[in-house]
Amino acid sequence: MSDREFAGKTAIVGIGGSDFAGLYRTPDPERTGESLATEAIAAAIADAGLEKSQIDGLITGGLPHYEPVAYRTGLTDVRFVVDYPQAGRMCAMALMHAATAVHHGLADYVVLFNSVVFRTQGTKFGAQPQGLLYDTIYGMASPGAQYSMGFTRYQAEYGGTEEQLGAIPVAIRSHARMTPGAIMQQEMTINDYLASRYIAEPLRLFDYCLVNDGAVAYVVTTAERARDLAHPPVLIAGTAGRANFREWYVDLGFWDEACRSMKADLFDPLGVTTEDIDCLQVYDNFSVSVLWGLEGFGFAPKGQGLEWVQNGRIALGGELPINTSGGMLSESYLQGWNQHAEAVRQLRGQADKRQVPDCDWSLYWCLSALPGASLLCRDGLL
Amino acid sequence: MSDHVGYTKPLPTVTHEDREFWAAAREHRFVLPKCQACGHVWFPPYASCPACLSFDRGWTEASGRGTVWGFTIMRQPYIPTFEPELPYNVVLVELEEGPMVYSNLVGIDNDAIACGLPVEAEFEDATDEITLIKFRPV
Repeated sequence: MSDREFAGKTAIVGIGGSDFAGLYRTPDPERTGESLATEAIAAAIADAGLEKSQIDGLITGGLPHYEPVAYRTGLTDVRFVVDYPQAGRMCAMALMHAATAVHHGLADYVVLFNSVVFRTQGTKFGAQPQGLLYDTIYGMASPGAQYSMGFTRYQAEYGGTEEQLGAIPVAIRSHARMTPGAIMQQEMTINDYLASRYIAEPLRLFDYCLVNDGAVAYVVTTAERARDLAHPPVLIAGTAGRANFREWYVDLGFWDEACRSMKADLFDPLGVTTEDIDCLQVYDNFSVSVLWGLEGFGFAPKGQGLEWVQNGRIALGGELPINTSGGMLSESYLQGWNQHAEAVRQLRGQADKRQVPDCDWSLYWCLSALPGASLLCRDGLL
Repeated sequence: MSDHVGYTKPLPTVTHEDREFWAAAREHRFVLPKCQACGHVWFPPYASCPACLSFDRGWTEASGRGTVWGFTIMRQPYIPTFEPELPYNVVLVELEEGPMVYSNLVGIDNDAIACGLPVEAEFEDATDEITLIKFRPV
């Protein structure tokens, strides 16, 4: 959904989340997925300046079933419910769903969340029972190994070094260190990056996102209602998806087609260009995902993304800051949901010492089996 | 060629969709599903054609030839029974017929593996029932 008529008609008006770092330091099995979701929902509703009784739409993510949270949050007047399965790729899809729901009057105020307890559950992202392509009989395990294969291919086609790739996690770590609640607070230099162990060579530990517990929730409503609420509205300029379902996960063209298609959906109706984007808050499951999106969306020339990210360009203070709260590599693996929360803070001007000056537009992408993207902006631009 | 006794690594769960594929592999034949309606060749062996959705599935003998699209060297012990083999390679092979398959390259050092390398299939009997298809450089 990104047509001119829809653009900017809906808004994110509340954000809330759990204490990622606290729970990482001190894992607590009593903080279940339902408990974390409830905390995030309460915070998002309060942030919006709404009463709980006004929430009439619910989109759940990360949990086996919507009901335990629906009861715990005492929602009593709900007109619209959607239950998303646990999968990192769903954030843009859930936002698309929430926005269309309020735009078409299926609900007035939709609360949507993602809640995960990967750490306390001991979730392994390695060996699936079999994989889609008989993966495990060949010892093929983990999404990271799939992205690693993509990177060997990328290097064969375009060159580039592992040290160059390290600029992405290093920049993102520097942002986490400015973010209260971000899990990884220790400084990381390029030498620290290169000294980290290989997981699926050529990708290293620090190319991988975190595995942790937490929840993030938003409240979405129409832009018109948003203007009466607590904060300046953050408008949903558009959402997009483009999936080419293939069992080997990593797109053979590094998601170029998906990115071009989503960019056209998001940018063209509005006349927005890459020059307009003030920061990127993107799905950094693995460092290479950021690289491929930069090229696919046309921020970096094709095949030159590794050179492009050097010399502070993607760090705060640089030309295009990426994942200003530390992303999933260093803040929290909330699967795109912490990125959108940070986008909201940036567009409200609430990002404190991380604030990107004059932040008008923030772009999200997720390059996965189900690619999605979203474009958010300040009020008054559409 | 491999030890039939005590194969401990993961084995496929044979289903109604891929029974014929594994039966052929056991005879050291590499077959791929082929749509009798539209001619599409696919993998893994779903019962229906992902191109035209026909259930009229036949089989075609694969040449066994392909090229390495990408590879990774696994360093982390995700699968306990693979741990003694670390670091080992996994490759994504683009078959001459089109489909992509995961496998392992044999007969080559990990640091000599490269994208674009031409490879051919070979059969590795894991158990009496299951034969794995692996690849070696041509």
